[in-house]
Amino acid sequence: MHDMTAHAAAHHAPPQGFIRKYVFSVDHKVIGIQYTTLGLVSAFIGMALSWAMRIHLAWPAASIPFLGTLSPNGAPGGVPTPEYYLSLMTMHGTIMAFFLLTAAPMAGYGNFMLPIHVGAADMAFPRLNMASFWVTFVGFVLACATFFIPDGPPLSGWTAYAPLSAVGPVAGPGQGWGQNLWGLSIALFCVASLLGALNFIVTTIDLRTKGMTLSRLPLATWAWFINAWVSLLAFAVLLPTCLLLVLDRLGGTSFFIPGGLVVNDKVLPHSGGSPLLFQHLFWFFGHPEVYIIILPAFGIVAHVMPTFTRKPLVGGWKVITYAMAAIGGLSFVVWGHHMFVSGMSPYMAMVFSVPTLIITIPSVIAVLVFAFSLYGANMRFSTPMLFCLGFISLFISGGIGGFFLAQPAVDSYLHATSFVVGHFHFTMGLSAVFAAFAGFYYWFPKMWGRMMNETLGKIHFWLSFVLVYCVFMTLHLMGLTGSVRRYSQFVADFMVPLTPTNKFITIAALLLGATQFIFLFNVIWSRFKGPKAADNPWHATTLEWDTTSPPPFDNFGGRQMTVYHGPMEYDGDAFVMQTSTEKSIAGT
Amino acid sequence: MSESELTMATGHEVLMEASPYHIEKKKLGMWVFIVSDACTFATFLFGYGYMRVGSQNWGTLFEFSSILNGIIMTFVLLSSSLTMLAAVRATQAGQKASANKWLGLTMLLGTVFAILHLREWVKMIGEGWRLFYNPMGGAAQFGACFFSVTGLHLTHVISGVIALGFVARGYNQGRYDESHVETAGLYWHFVDLVWMFVFPLMYLMNAR
Amino acid sequence: MSSNEELGMGSYVGIVIGLMIIVVIEVVLTYQHLPVRTLLFSLLCLACLEAFVGIMYLMHVKYESRLLFWTIFPATLFVLVMLNYLWPDAYRMARMSLGK
Repeated sequence: MHDMTAHAAAHHAPPQGFIRKYVFSVDHKVIGIQYTTLGLVSAFIGMALSWAMRIHLAWPAASIPFLGTLSPNGAPGGVPTPEYYLSLMTMHGTIMAFFLLTAAPMAGYGNFMLPIHVGAADMAFPRLNMASFWVTFVGFVLACATFFIPDGPPLSGWTAYAPLSAVGPVAGPGQGWGQNLWGLSIALFCVASLLGALNFIVTTIDLRTKGMTLSRLPLATWAWFINAWVSLLAFAVLLPTCLLLVLDRLGGTSFFIPGGLVVNDKVLPHSGGSPLLFQHLFWFFGHPEVYIIILPAFGIVAHVMPTFTRKPLVGGWKVITYAMAAIGGLSFVVWGHHMFVSGMSPYMAMVFSVPTLIITIPSVIAVLVFAFSLYGANMRFSTPMLFCLGFISLFISGGIGGFFLAQPAVDSYLHATSFVVGHFHFTMGLSAVFAAFAGFYYWFPKMWGRMMNETLGKIHFWLSFVLVYCVFMTLHLMGLTGSVRRYSQFVADFMVPLTPTNKFITIAALLLGATQFIFLFNVIWSRFKGPKAADNPWHATTLEWDTTSPPPFDNFGGRQMTVYHGPMEYDGDAFVMQTSTEKSIAGT
Repeated sequence: MSESELTMATGHEVLMEASPYHIEKKKLGMWVFIVSDACTFATFLFGYGYMRVGSQNWGTLFEFSSILNGIIMTFVLLSSSLTMLAAVRATQAGQKASANKWLGLTMLLGTVFAILHLREWVKMIGEGWRLFYNPMGGAAQFGACFFSVTGLHLTHVISGVIALGFVARGYNQGRYDESHVETAGLYWHFVDLVWMFVFPLMYLMNAR
Repeated sequence: MSSNEELGMGSYVGIVIGLMIIVVIEVVLTYQHLPVRTLLFSLLCLACLEAFVGIMYLMHVKYESRLLFWTIFPATLFVLVMLNYLWPDAYRMARMSLGK
């Protein structure tokens, strides 16, 4: 880091040559697009994995195309073994949670937009920025490589609970090198996220252009800034946890492996470790992680919505920002609610349950700010706005499940059921994805200089929205009947009657996945054939709309950007750019 | 950072909001890194504490000779903080020769620390200590905790020495200025202060 | 924290010698055969004192803006405090003799 020159951010000249320009680029815009693309690739890989799982759940004997070729041992004839089902689940979780949901809305859009939002020419440490993308990329390659090693991917879930994840090959297929690669992949991801968070923090603090006071920061930038702090502290704990896990696996230590453990009729030579320690350390990171995923989503919605409701958010910048900051802080004090049935000290359950209910207060405030802001709005139902509305709906629906799960007594029943699956897919999965779609449709013209097709966008939204409810609301209901998570086949007596429901979910999930190809087509087609975008197609006020689409290398073509207004100067069709010297019309 | 320093690629001046911290951005970046790294060390130390509290037969392990070695290492590291301070002050005063001397001395002390530490490691490994084995019959966790915590610290010291080497070279070539040396100094002091926790917790708490 | 007057090199020598004296006190305490908890508590207090002095003087936080102090200390201490939630389970492990 020391070799970063003081003026690197401001001074570096446009690079020459393909490699420096598009591959090992220090330009934040290119890095942002690289992260976004990585997120898109991850999304489709993760989705394909979820298809395989869903097909197997609905038709246990069905042969799944390509799976037999990918893993002749794990899925002989294309029918996954129970172990391979868990491998698919692990990689679905890992790829989606880390490489899509953590990377795309924060590092993807954030890298592209944050420096422009604050009026800077680049991030504070451009070379560090490049390093964080390429470290993430290596982590991604290592994670995907687990599919192609003889044992296949690990089967311990994205949470990698010890001792299953710690004891090594004896625990089953994929627990040899698959789990090692997983540990290294996530350790690299931690390093990259730490570097990225550092960069976001310093850029937001130090590179704001004249007049860009904290109260005038766009709300997406506020969210990225708060989120950078949460990432910084949370990944700082996951990194050593991964290192200790790798030490347990490769160094023979027993941090997470208890004494006298018998696995597959073998007594393990370990003693004195504690699987609970792993769960504590993992969830110390893991709970902030779900907010690391959802805070940028809040930010994007808060940024996009005023453009289409044509009025400022209720409560101005303060209420939503304070709510996001409160969520960020409280996210560190609630992790034990993932461990109510883990054998944790029962007294601790209450210690974690109460803050969990408290954290719903700022979350509800944030969502109510969005909902109340619709009142009296002169709404424009463009695709980004539809996805914002979808986000609000999904987050409320998912959040209500949180009240049940936050209580140890209720959670004891629901914990290992698909109620939890439905809950977290609504709240941190699909809410964040919908916000990411809102951001994608909103910023696409700026990133690539062309408009996306509105009709396809709307079809994409309505199909996704309905099908998401079909899949995940039904999973909630199945969970209430006691349908267990992580089972590869529903053969137990009480689950057999659920088979038609399972088939319904699977069909909905397949259609939901197919819908995403409309999006993919729209992206590729619009990228090359879409109508050219104006500089400010949405009539928005923030700095990214104050430059060409796409922006020049130094973002503003050498212009001095001076900011006079907050980001939400809307009054119906009238709006005042942040850089405009006109009088404020919304009083923000 | 002064406003005149921030110039866009076109060479024309851009006015910025003042940093609320009034420090250079790389110094702020280093502070942010230190916050995160402190949490990483803390996690290792809490893991060690957990292992120790949960253990039934921890035992006392270090002879006074090891403690003495630890004291010497501590003093070496503390002195290196002092030489680092002297180096930063010399760069701020523009005394290149003096700065080089102090930077060199800091790196030397860091290396001495690493050698003393590795000597301790080699001695322990010779006695039969492993990550998973305690030759004294107590909890096997001690080896795991000792080697991982001190190993993490040792990695920081060694990378610190290497980083100081790069900074010193850049400083001599005129690519870096006193602020780079100061930023590297922050890291060096941090590594030093972490040892102020590692030494009592890993050595003194295990003294015989 | 408000003072912007830097100390002279002599004062820094004094501070580092002070830190070394604290280390000596720690070693002396170690050989007083105190109960483990008392020893741990005293050592941790002394280590925190050293860290605080080190951060404020060697790392110059005393001479930086007050905001830097109020950023790094709460952020780090927050994580350190939260990690203490581990202890109840560590003690249960000891009591249930799982740690053999």
